[in-house]
Amino acid sequence: MNDRQKSRLLLGGQYAGLSLWLVVALLPPVVLLAAAFNETAMFRSPLALLTMQDFTLNNFAVAFSAGDFWFFFRNSLFISVAAVIISVVVCVPMAYGLTKLRPKVRSSLSFAVLAMRFLPHVVLALPLFLIFVNLGLSGSRIGLLLAHLSIHIPFATWMMVGFFENVPKEMEEAAIVDGCSPWRLFWSISLPVVRPGLNALAILVFIMSWNEYLFALFLAGSDAQPLTVGITRFMGGVEAGAQYGVIAAYASLIVLPVIIFALLANRYIVSGMTAGAVKG
Amino acid sequence: MHNSLNRYTRGWYFVLPGLIAMLLIVVFPLAIAFRFSLHDVFLYDFGNQWFVGLENYAYALSDPLFINSVRVTALFTLANTLGCLVVGMLVAFLLSGKRIRFKAGWMALFLMPFVMTPVIVGITWRLFMWEPDFGVINQVLGFFGVSGPYWLTDRSTALFATALTNAWHLTPMAILVFYAALTTIPDELYEAARVDGAGPFQTLWHVVLPMIRAHILFVSIIIMTSAFREFDMVFTMTGGGPGRSTTVLSILAYNRGIANQDMGMANTIAFTMFMIMAVVAWLYIKVYKVNKEASQ
Repeated sequence: MNDRQKSRLLLGGQYAGLSLWLVVALLPPVVLLAAAFNETAMFRSPLALLTMQDFTLNNFAVAFSAGDFWFFFRNSLFISVAAVIISVVVCVPMAYGLTKLRPKVRSSLSFAVLAMRFLPHVVLALPLFLIFVNLGLSGSRIGLLLAHLSIHIPFATWMMVGFFENVPKEMEEAAIVDGCSPWRLFWSISLPVVRPGLNALAILVFIMSWNEYLFALFLAGSDAQPLTVGITRFMGGVEAGAQYGVIAAYASLIVLPVIIFALLANRYIVSGMTAGAVKG
Repeated sequence: MHNSLNRYTRGWYFVLPGLIAMLLIVVFPLAIAFRFSLHDVFLYDFGNQWFVGLENYAYALSDPLFINSVRVTALFTLANTLGCLVVGMLVAFLLSGKRIRFKAGWMALFLMPFVMTPVIVGITWRLFMWEPDFGVINQVLGFFGVSGPYWLTDRSTALFATALTNAWHLTPMAILVFYAALTTIPDELYEAARVDGAGPFQTLWHVVLPMIRAHILFVSIIIMTSAFREFDMVFTMTGGGPGRSTTVLSILAYNRGIANQDMGMANTIAFTMFMIMAVVAWLYIKVYKVNKEASQ
């Protein structure tokens, strides 16, 4: 075997490995989608569903009507959008300010933010339950939103610090020499540089809120329940003979927005997830 | 100049709103959780609280259910971390190959398991992947003449199945961080390794891995902390069962607090989880600094 054959074989091996992982990564969501469009998804091999023999849209109609979809959808959407707006307003200045503190203060504050970013969510859900009962916020969207923010603020701040660190020091120093005010230094010099970071923050916070389940289970009562609670309540009917196809349709509708984000804005998801990777 | 920059930019004004928000919605609830863990207190009866000191903690340590959950959580976390690191590294290494085309496209598709709602991941795998008679896993095993077990309802396989599902969900995180790290390695290094006659795996082990130690550390910590606190997916797949075979600490805390209405005990378990994670965060910073100094 000569060098050229060897190198072609190697490239083929690389593509084969990537394809194998692609199948593993995509099979579950694809099977879910296939089941959603099938008349009888129960008691059949999910692989057979991929042939789409019994194509139907009926499952979606049932999911919308029987599953009370729009009620849960409104809660999910409100909380996710509000979480994005508040996270941007609070965390972007905070991350910027952190990079401007004295190194000592900064590293201890960074540690606090990092420790909070690793918090098990259940350790917040339990006390928040009591706090919200006392404040009259239990079972309200506002309460659930606050709980989400307790996760987003440390996460988003940590991530944005990674972006602000990449702003060239020389640029800021030049601006100061030119008599730029502290506020304008943030708004007109640093912020435009971290613009991709803002997109990443918005998308990741939206996805995290949209996907959240634990807080909703503890704190949503019956009025503020998001889609993740909606589908598990619907799932309760599985044992009672609920159709797999309808559950799959319901689930597909829930993951649709995040899948669209992954397809269209994956660049920002990647940059956001890697932003905190290597720094002090 | 650096010091004057710090003074000039008024960093504290920017930090303060966020800091106050964090004190109110993170630190304050944490303090309440700690306070609860020192009391006997029950759900819907918050008016009656008895101070018991560290008794809840002492009880937890002697409670077989708690010890069981510690073991289950440790296995779950370890399996996730190892699985994600190995698979993530391999896939990232393959994807970073110079002659691989459409890299952004591959990456976009690889992200799917990660962005998928954990509850839906749990439902999908439970209904369509692990389902014993018709599920994909057992169908594939059956193709090779193996009859697969009742994955999620068998005590001996449920933890493995849930851990694997969670690793599937978290692996993209490892892939994307490793991939980003690999693209920073200069081509000359690969070239030098090739000239020296190193194969792909030797290159990975001797050239690539030492260069991205910091990223490996970062991925390990992210996967570890995510797996350690995982609730949604396990809860929708098995609810902690069969028996207690998948009752991770988050689920145990939920059961204690909501099902048994024992908020004191629930907060004790949750606060113990927090302390473990705080130590992990502290270790991470330490190791990170040592690593950084070593590589300078």
